[in-house]
Amino acid sequence: MTVRIIADVLIAIGAIFALAGTIGILKMPDTYSRMQASTCIATLGMLGAMLGALLIAIFVKADAGAAVKVAVIALLILVTNPLGSHAIAKGAYKAGIRPEKKMEVDDLGRDLYE
Amino acid sequence: MQKTKFPAVVATFIVCFAFWVLLTWSFTAQELIAGAVVSLAVALFAARFFIHEKAFWFLNPLKFFSGLFYWVCIFPVELIKANVDMAKRCFGGCKNINPGIVKVPVDLKSEYGQAALANSITLTPGTITMEVTEQDGQPYYYIHWIDVTKPSGKEAGDAIKGTLEKGLRRVWE
Amino acid sequence: MNWIDLLIGAIVFAVLAALTLIRLGKGPTAADRMVAGDSADTLICCAMVLFSLFSGRGIYLDIALVAALFGVIDTMLVGRYLEKEGGKKK
Repeated sequence: MTVRIIADVLIAIGAIFALAGTIGILKMPDTYSRMQASTCIATLGMLGAMLGALLIAIFVKADAGAAVKVAVIALLILVTNPLGSHAIAKGAYKAGIRPEKKMEVDDLGRDLYE
Repeated sequence: MQKTKFPAVVATFIVCFAFWVLLTWSFTAQELIAGAVVSLAVALFAARFFIHEKAFWFLNPLKFFSGLFYWVCIFPVELIKANVDMAKRCFGGCKNINPGIVKVPVDLKSEYGQAALANSITLTPGTITMEVTEQDGQPYYYIHWIDVTKPSGKEAGDAIKGTLEKGLRRVWE
Repeated sequence: MNWIDLLIGAIVFAVLAALTLIRLGKGPTAADRMVAGDSADTLICCAMVLFSLFSGRGIYLDIALVAALFGVIDTMLVGRYLEKEGGKKK
């Protein structure tokens, strides 16, 4: 029973961070800030839910196959998410997407286009 | 095009086969043999794209334990700190931001170290690595930072990746 | 034992994924839409894992695994496409 309470708390923490990321995606003013907010979902939001599920799969259900699959999914998202972020950020900058309010420091624009 | 090296093939084979076993999770002889054949074919074809340096660096116990210490102790603490900071900004109405792109020098020589540092920076909310360049043998990262408080160069580098880089330098140097 | 807490968690994550779809429909640029789609993919993965533990069927875990694998591939594809397209326009 204790394990289940711990797992519930972990899932709740994950849901809170996922809610923060969703609010950021909906309300942030420019493209790159939205990207930053979406990282919140893919790290602690995902890890909280997956750790809770892992605890339940190991200690309550005693199902080794399910536990291994959950761990593989969590590791896969954690390893591959930065690759997508790099690709999208670089592609968006090269495609000429700029925030409406001008950035104070913009070294990449200075070095690439002068 | 690089030549295919034997340790690289062995390392790729082990990773592919472990992934196969984890996915299928059945230990009959037929499935294991099929997995081994497919993993060997993949390793022979793709090892030269994945591994350019020493493949079995982690057999040195000092490096192995400092790497474990990095991924278990240093990185999660930074991750949680950055996440709480980002969540505060999001719940506070998304007004408290000051985005900008800074250019930061990196003091890691190894390819693995640079890749691990770039991915760690991207994985902490609040910073994204956008581009990697090299000038006069010194690698530079262009990092998008949600709240620029320091001028770009050494000081911004210390604020963004000081502890992460210190932990990684113990592993790959 | 009933598993109502897992069901509630799965529903919360699914609702959050539906909320990110607003940005997917509204977003002014292609990068915005892609970021929202990637986040929706991750959230759907979490919801599917929780729902699989709730219902006790393993098939949802396999689907979540495939979704996690292909989510990154389409993100990188769109990123590469944007990069090349931006170079062509100038």
